Amino acid sequence: MNYLIRNGSIIDPARRVATVGDVLVVDGKVERLIDMAEMGVDLGPLPEGTEVIHAGGCVVAPGFTDLHAELGEPGYEQRETIATGTRAAVQGGFTMVCAMPNTNPVLDCAAVAHQVAAIAQREAQGHVALIGAITQGREGKILTEMIELAEAGCIAFSDAGRTILDAGVMRNALAYAAALNLPVMSHCEDSRLGLNWAMHEGAVSMRLGLPGLPAAAEEIIIARDIALAEDTRAHLHICQVSTAAGVALIRAAKERGVHVTAQVSPYHLTLSDTWVLGTLAPPPLPLSAATPTHRGKGKNRRNTAPELGLPSWLNPNLLPPYDSSTRVRPPLRSEQDVEALIAGLNDGTIDAIASGHAPRTRVEKECEYGVAAPGISSLETALGLVLTLVHRGEMDLVNTVARLTEGPAQVMGRSPATLRPGSRADIVIFDPDRMWTVERSQLASLSKSTPLQGQQLKGQVMLTMVSGQVAFRRGEFGMHGRGGPQSSKITGIFGNVE
Amino acid sequence: MNNRKQILTPDEMRRALVRIAHEIDERNGGLQNVILVGIPRRGVPLAERIAATIADFEGVLLPVGQLDITLYRDDLRRRGMAEVGKTSIQHDLTAKVVVLVDDVLYTGRTVRAALDAIADLGRPDCIQLAVLIDRGHRELPIRADFVGKNVPTSRSEHVMVHLREIDGEDEVVIERTKAEQ
Amino acid sequence: MSRRHMIDLDQISAEEIEEILVTTDSMKEVLSREIKQVPALRGRTVVNMFFEESTRTRISFELAARALSANIVNFTARGSSVEKGESLIDTVRTLQALGADMVVIRHSQSGAPYLVAQHFHGPVINAGDGRHAHPSQALLDLFTIRERLGQLAGLKVVIVGDILHSRVARSDIWGLTRMGAHVTLCAPPTLLGPSHYWLATWPGISISHRLDAALEGADVVMALRIQKERMQGGLLPSLREYSRHYGLTPERLARLGEHTLIMHPGPMNEGVEISPEAATAPNSVIEAQVTNGVAVRMALLYRLGG
Repeated sequence: MNYLIRNGSIIDPARRVATVGDVLVVDGKVERLIDMAEMGVDLGPLPEGTEVIHAGGCVVAPGFTDLHAELGEPGYEQRETIATGTRAAVQGGFTMVCAMPNTNPVLDCAAVAHQVAAIAQREAQGHVALIGAITQGREGKILTEMIELAEAGCIAFSDAGRTILDAGVMRNALAYAAALNLPVMSHCEDSRLGLNWAMHEGAVSMRLGLPGLPAAAEEIIIARDIALAEDTRAHLHICQVSTAAGVALIRAAKERGVHVTAQVSPYHLTLSDTWVLGTLAPPPLPLSAATPTHRGKGKNRRNTAPELGLPSWLNPNLLPPYDSSTRVRPPLRSEQDVEALIAGLNDGTIDAIASGHAPRTRVEKECEYGVAAPGISSLETALGLVLTLVHRGEMDLVNTVARLTEGPAQVMGRSPATLRPGSRADIVIFDPDRMWTVERSQLASLSKSTPLQGQQLKGQVMLTMVSGQVAFRRGEFGMHGRGGPQSSKITGIFGNVE
Repeated sequence: MNNRKQILTPDEMRRALVRIAHEIDERNGGLQNVILVGIPRRGVPLAERIAATIADFEGVLLPVGQLDITLYRDDLRRRGMAEVGKTSIQHDLTAKVVVLVDDVLYTGRTVRAALDAIADLGRPDCIQLAVLIDRGHRELPIRADFVGKNVPTSRSEHVMVHLREIDGEDEVVIERTKAEQ
Repeated sequence: MSRRHMIDLDQISAEEIEEILVTTDSMKEVLSREIKQVPALRGRTVVNMFFEESTRTRISFELAARALSANIVNFTARGSSVEKGESLIDTVRTLQALGADMVVIRHSQSGAPYLVAQHFHGPVINAGDGRHAHPSQALLDLFTIRERLGQLAGLKVVIVGDILHSRVARSDIWGLTRMGAHVTLCAPPTLLGPSHYWLATWPGISISHRLDAALEGADVVMALRIQKERMQGGLLPSLREYSRHYGLTPERLARLGEHTLIMHPGPMNEGVEISPEAATAPNSVIEAQVTNGVAVRMALLYRLGG
């Protein structure tokens, strides 16, 4: 099947292209891009069996790459399987997912890597890349056979949700991986600073009486690992940076030329610890007093965006107090941390937006907050969440798409996903202005655990193409023409298109 | 608006209470061991006025207590929680003659609750009941010993006793509910 | 009047606290009678769900329910539901199916009563959850202070001890400040929590690390229980040092004004946070707290379940 995607607003960050035009997909590859200047030019006869997809008013971009998702398989099939996880991924616009190794058995040897690759080959709806464990059993003691893991297809190493507390082990891991030119992904949490933590330590945790994890627990490990990466000249990748100080450390290290990259999740970019309060009033103090060493201006993000006329947009009051869907690792941080993460994404300190998809079962979630398993089912709401930042004017659309495509590819050391003619046709089409309401039961992921239940999001994936084939289509999208090209309301870049 | 009718003037109310005071005196010759117990809210000032009247003509000041019956009501579940008032009876009720005082006797359920409450507080020799208005429609086998005025009413009417101490004026009025107008 | 649950004092107005204290006063009169029972909650079934040991609080709620003629059933389980392999939600649904009208819950996890309230059809009363809240304790503290000192507004109340882990302190902070009292929290920094500078910004609250200074002009001093595990957690170097610098010792007792109330939510570690002399001093109201606890819990059961 061949496709002609018509009249979309094409964003291809890898080629710095933002234009209105058509994309012709033939035999699984991008055949041709027809931009505005050429529109109306006779294309000649279309190849046999070409379906026209009408994409007016929608953004056409390279498929997103997710650096960080748990796909559950093998071992946690009740949470997620490769089949359901990748289906959730394509519904969220991700054509490539890097699978975290916290499986059972742990993906810490070539045999498990081959097994996962085989399942993915058979059942995945999108591309799956493997991340191998750094240490055997994710126990933080003995390094995995990284050379063999790399040969088995692993593109990075991570102990998935666990920090290697022994700095000596971490140093060796970085040094060993450096020879393979592969990144070591560090989850930064010195848990000794927050035994049995349930949320971010701050005014909200004090008010709720929940054990907190201070921002310092993340900062300490980021600082340590940067020092070790500098020393070993390895590629350090910081997973799920969540604190303002963490962003500052990464920024400074990048300026020094340390090979450090970083990712952030959509929920850390948009939600704060006040979401754990649900319907409860915030503590009787200025929330800007959050992290004392990093005082910022501090916009209160509860109930923001009414200026856009969007009712109850990202409204934590839809949740009851202590709703375990807000429990995640690292925890949702303060408003100031959220501000700093957005700034870090805008200035390039943070390279990628990764879903941080951590599926959990109902049994793991429907219990007391302090014992609920941390994790958010995130693949399908990722785009809608980050687009709230675009609609608020806090990020621009092209940069957002870049952080979902080019950014993660660069972290992986791969050539970026692109719409350049000749490249594999992994394409997402999304409507940036479409309003929709998150409904747990409609999620394709096996895990329905999201703090966004009932929230209205603006922006939704309409069609996802993997290797030139439609992997997901919302309803009958694109089958009927919607008139001529429409300018997107959310960004100026297409504003003057007739 | 013809739906509001005065049935006792201040003067008539005073005379009714004087009569009740005399009847209590006659019934309980010597007034030994008699204690007046008002049911909040308006039974309490009525009990105090009766005590003052008796003091005027007998020179004996009877003890007056107040008995909140909220926790004994049988309609808590139906009508929902009501604010609890104060119970304050300084004397042991055992072997006393208790004269319960209330403003209006209607279904008898308030008195029933009061009888239960008194039983928890002690074992009086005798309990008597004094009311300013008896409007009929009893739902329980209860009868007043001393009545200021019997007023035939329909169930859709409201009888309201206004007292100086609470409402700033003395009068008893009867009102039809809106549905009847 | 329309309140469905009593989980925390944080969202309760001064007016409502006032109403509860007035109802408590009426309940106290009932408890002073020879027959300490009224029929207000006859036929109602209250379940005491205790997922954490607390004989005192459980008995207090039990006596309160009985004084209102409710049926009371005790459900006791140790540990969190997850450890037991039984879900809290399932337990609540079961109790509901068995006919429970009201639930009193004590749980080691902060926020557990909110979870129960989402899955139970009737009122939920929090009898202490994790570090979060213990509203009936705070209300009995308010009642006891007001009973003795006549008012709450303008008083200086010193709470000394393990603030970080104390649900009593958290609820007292809400209740006391709401009623216009000033609260001084006094503890070594480790027991105030590493983030205690936030607490210092809460209106009506000040922080102190020195008990003798904090006690200047105090109308009430409340000592909190020190758990021995805190030492193992590295939060305290020794009980000896704690007791000397933060305990209500006989020497400190001697320096206190005679009018300064001494309170303790119990159970006491005598000789650690409070000396036997202070616990039994004429200005100690620790026993009155226990007595008033039953009346306060009657008021709560009545107001929610009546």
